Parts: sequence; structure tokens; C-alpha cells
Amino acid sequence: MISLLFRSSSLIRPLAVQKKDRDCPYLISAKIHATPSNYAGSGSKAASLHWTGERILSIALLGLAPVAFCYPGPAVDYSLAAALTVHGHWGLGQIVTDYVHGDFKIKMANAGLFLLSTVTFAGLCYFNYHDVGICKAVALLWSK
Amino acid sequence: MALLLRTVARQGQCLSRSQFGVLYRHAVPMGTTANEEMNKFWAKNTRLNRPVSPHISIYKWSIPMLMSISHRGTGVALSSGISAFALAALVLPESYPYYLDLIHSMTFGPQFLAFSKFALAFPVAYHTFNGIRHLAWDLGKGFKIPEVYRSGYIVVALTVLTSISLAAM
Repeated sequence: MISLLFRSSSLIRPLAVQKKDRDCPYLISAKIHATPSNYAGSGSKAASLHWTGERILSIALLGLAPVAFCYPGPAVDYSLAAALTVHGHWGLGQIVTDYVHGDFKIKMANAGLFLLSTVTFAGLCYFNYHDVGICKAVALLWSK
Repeated sequence: MALLLRTVARQGQCLSRSQFGVLYRHAVPMGTTANEEMNKFWAKNTRLNRPVSPHISIYKWSIPMLMSISHRGTGVALSSGISAFALAALVLPESYPYYLDLIHSMTFGPQFLAFSKFALAFPVAYHTFNGIRHLAWDLGKGFKIPEVYRSGYIVVALTVLTSISLAAM
């Protein structure tokens, strides 16, 4: 935290006007906003980990495709359901981040997205359980 | 954190005593984050009802631009398709083979079937191949402009070839 005071100028801006030393301490402290520590230099790794998770999932989904072709079955069906849903959820999440502005609208958009993804996963699992399953569905679709 | 800053400011000496003292003699730590500054910018401009300069409507389209938005477009389309499929599975009374037979009894011929397969395979293939291109970028590879165009053309070529092959199956 100390380093925050002495680090590069990108987080420091110079005082516009020079005041008398007596007034200075009061005015400086008046200008400093109380920022919570998660805004300061240290910060969390959540965003970075999310990014990495997105890439790992993408690679996993890429690997699932040939497996689905060669070894269709319930294991792959449910894996596909999960991977497709989360990949889509995170992708649409990035779109919300890019185009939706304003605290309330962002919250609403993400809530709607979460609902959509939940229903999607539920529907895919239902299909896997009660119907032919994703792999078989694609095979049937292509057989005609 | 705030306590620390206030303590330092009250003394008014810590900053000027540091090894970078000369530089930061009259410096104050920033109080707002970049996000807050951005929100203030948008709030003010919306409040004053200021017009936005044309940007997307006038900028010349390039292949990388087109491919990028297509990646997003195919992603949204595929995701919507999957969600619609899932919703249908929950709502519709009959089973999948039933509806498949229903559709087949209505088809207009083999060309229609082949075209439908192509139409389904195309966005999947494009999003997949361009996705691999993205992963290569994430590894730091292929950022030079000629490389960007070359990989782009390869993605398009692979997409067309794969879609045709899949439609023929």
C-alpha cells in the first residue's frame, strides 16, 4: 500500500496550485477520496482468472467435438451440455459488458442472461435424460 | 488505506521526504478510478444530449473487422439456437424423432436438405476456426498485419471447405 504513494506517475496527479504549508495538509486530505482497498494497487485476480477459465473451456470444448463424434453417449452428452452452456454464458456476458452501460442496466442484463443460461442448461439436461441426447440428435439430423 | 493517506497528508511531509521527493513534492493520489471517470463522461454527455460523431457508419470496413464481428455474430446465433432448442425440449410435448420425421415429411427435396445442413454447419465451422485463430492470438502469436490477413483467409477457406464436406455427409 505504501508503494501506491511512491509508484509511477500514472496514479498521481500534481496539485494545480501551490498553497501555504499550513493550509496544505488540510486541503490535501480534503481532496483524497476514501477508496476501498480493492480499488487500490493490490486488487483481486478475479478478472484474470475468469479470462483464463474462458480459454481453458474453449480448448476443452474444441476437444469434445471429436470425442462426441467417436464416442457418443451420456457422458459426452452431459459434458457438451455443460460446456456449451457455460461457453455461451461467458460469451454473451462479454457482449453485455461491451454494450450495456449504467449500473442498473448492467445488473438487469446479467440477471436475464443468468436466467437464460439456467433454462438452457436445464433444457439440455432434460433432453439428454428424457430424449435421445445431443450426440444422437445430431446423428439423426444428419442421417436424412 | 484511507486512514493511511489521511495520516500522511496531515503530516504533509512523508511525500516530500521520499526518494522521489522532488518528483512528488506537489502530488496528490488520485481519488477516482478509471471506471468512475468513464461513467462521469457518459452521464454528462447524455445529460447534455450531445450528438455522437459518426464512427461505424463512416469507417472503411476491413477483413479483420468483418471477421471479428462475424465471430461475435455467429456466437450469438449459435447460442440463441442452442437456447431455443433447450427451451423447445422443455416445452414441446413430443419427442425429438417425432418432430424430425415431421420436418422430413414436409421437405422440398434433397437440395433443401443439403442447403440446411450447410446453413447449420457454416456458423459452427466459422466460429470454431476463428476461435482457434483467437486462441493463437491469446498465446501472442500472429499479430503482424500480414499474418492477421493470412490467418483470416485460411479461416474462411477452411470454413467453406468444412461446411461443404459436412453438408455432403
